Amino acid sequence: MAYLARNLPKRVFTPSLTQTIRQTRSISTTVFQSTPTTRTTQLTPTNQPRNPLPHRTYHSALHARLPDHSYTNSQTAILTSALAHVPAHGFSATALTLGARDAGFLDVSVQLLPRGEFDLILFWLASRRGLLRGKVEEGGLFRRIAAEKGKDVHELSVEERVRGLLLERLRMNAEVKDVWQDALAQMSLLANIPISLTELHALASDILTLSGDDAVDAAWYTRRLAVSAIYASAEVVMTRDPTPDLVETAAFVERRFEDRKALADKLTGIGQCAGFGWNTAIGLGRSWGLKI
Amino acid sequence: MSTMSTRSAWRALHYSAKRRAFQPSTPYRCFSCTSRAQEQKPADRMTHFGFTNVPESEKETRVGAVFSSVAASYDRMNDLMSLGIHRLWKDHFVRSLNPGACLPAMTADQRGWNILDIAGGTGDIAFRMLDHATNVNHDMETRVTISDINADMLAEGRKRSLDTPYYNTPRLDFVEANAEHMPHIPDASVDLYTVVFGIRNFTDKQAALNEAYRVLKPGGVFACMEFSKVDNPVLDGIYKRWNFSAIPLIGQVVAGDRDSYQYLVESIERFPSQEEFRGMIQKAGFMIPGQGFENLTGGIAAIHKGIKPIVKA
Repeated sequence: MAYLARNLPKRVFTPSLTQTIRQTRSISTTVFQSTPTTRTTQLTPTNQPRNPLPHRTYHSALHARLPDHSYTNSQTAILTSALAHVPAHGFSATALTLGARDAGFLDVSVQLLPRGEFDLILFWLASRRGLLRGKVEEGGLFRRIAAEKGKDVHELSVEERVRGLLLERLRMNAEVKDVWQDALAQMSLLANIPISLTELHALASDILTLSGDDAVDAAWYTRRLAVSAIYASAEVVMTRDPTPDLVETAAFVERRFEDRKALADKLTGIGQCAGFGWNTAIGLGRSWGLKI
Repeated sequence: MSTMSTRSAWRALHYSAKRRAFQPSTPYRCFSCTSRAQEQKPADRMTHFGFTNVPESEKETRVGAVFSSVAASYDRMNDLMSLGIHRLWKDHFVRSLNPGACLPAMTADQRGWNILDIAGGTGDIAFRMLDHATNVNHDMETRVTISDINADMLAEGRKRSLDTPYYNTPRLDFVEANAEHMPHIPDASVDLYTVVFGIRNFTDKQAALNEAYRVLKPGGVFACMEFSKVDNPVLDGIYKRWNFSAIPLIGQVVAGDRDSYQYLVESIERFPSQEEFRGMIQKAGFMIPGQGFENLTGGIAAIHKGIKPIVKA
């Protein structure tokens, strides 16, 4: 409609009508100009931080994937070089400063990271999450897990994939195992808890999505909760695991998955029992002549 | 107490330094006619001085008069006006910057930081940074250059430096300069540029930011603490009432100078919001870490930071 109106020849307006429009315009312009502007300076669009991705409040497999982290190139350069110093110096300001020096920055440039050491921890978590995804998309990881179990890739169940991915992610922590308790302490500070939990959820969500979990009901929540809980507790066990290949941690994860299965079975059993009981009660009531 | 009130009453009776400076100096001088005529450009750009508009050429003198007038009572007035909170802000500012090299230097360039403290006449920030570098990071090499446009404020800082261990050492230096144009400081020579409660009074803020960009080394940090806009409307109401009613009154009673403190609160009101000032920092070429500013006490003051990018050859 608007397109048509724009292309209408001008002479369809009667002269008097055009006159009226002109008058209205001139009046409205004067009114507009005489109104005192309360805000003298207005934000230009260039002043706004660039936000290329719209905020999404719901989950969908069709959404494009969000980037693993939102650090700029310079920040990534400092953080990447700082990670090399983490095994020796922990997730500390020292590692950050050394990283800044390695990347060609000054000592003072660590100001580029407003959260300091916590940014280093977040970057570690986010980049390892990205690596895990890379390994899966490359295709080698599931084949290896399948080969360890003596199966074909297509025979792997979702459960087995989840278990494999979770262990693989824990093994990535092996080199920072000795300093990870400090990182956990940092993450549990009150101000850092929301971001830490968001990151944990992102990891659980990634593991489940990559494993082919396609639940869209309440199980979507419970599964993410279960994977998050298992991963978080396994991390704590890992920090005290003296074995080189994290055998104890792997055993711990196996036990937790068994527990989860047992718990799920029990809950199902209780549900079934309650269902039978209810049906029996109704049947009993009906046999007594109650109108239910 | 009685001496203080007599002194302030005595001061109030006299012309303050500021009022004297407002009077045009010698309206007609025969021998300098031509030079004066050249100075009076037909289209002199206007800038704001508090709520009034003045020609750009005049703002510097007027601000100078304000700070000459308040230099002696500066610290006492800050305590009264901010109820002591300004000390917490300044401590937080310095701690977050963590000045001083905490690791052994690998190259000669890493031996101590070269800090430039703009508008830091009384040395408030400079002494804090040197203390932090020495006591926290055990760095005895970090140097601070205090630069201020106002000789009276610098004199106050020199007087205070007598009580610090940095007096008459190469670690502390005083320079009288205009932050918009500092030809005595070479390009890419400064690690950290700080300006605390000063940039508000600059005639051309963007020029000062560009100059900061020039003197900083690649990777160097621009850090600025300044009064800003309060988000919470309730706090904002209380804050505005305090600003416009209490502060000029305190100024009159304690420092004997109402007009200077009236200017102070008006200049706070005119300073751009957090987002606008962040835009100005970005415009000068700096990278912005995170959201670019940190609000203190609900936005009464805000810390802005910018990092000069490294250009890879």
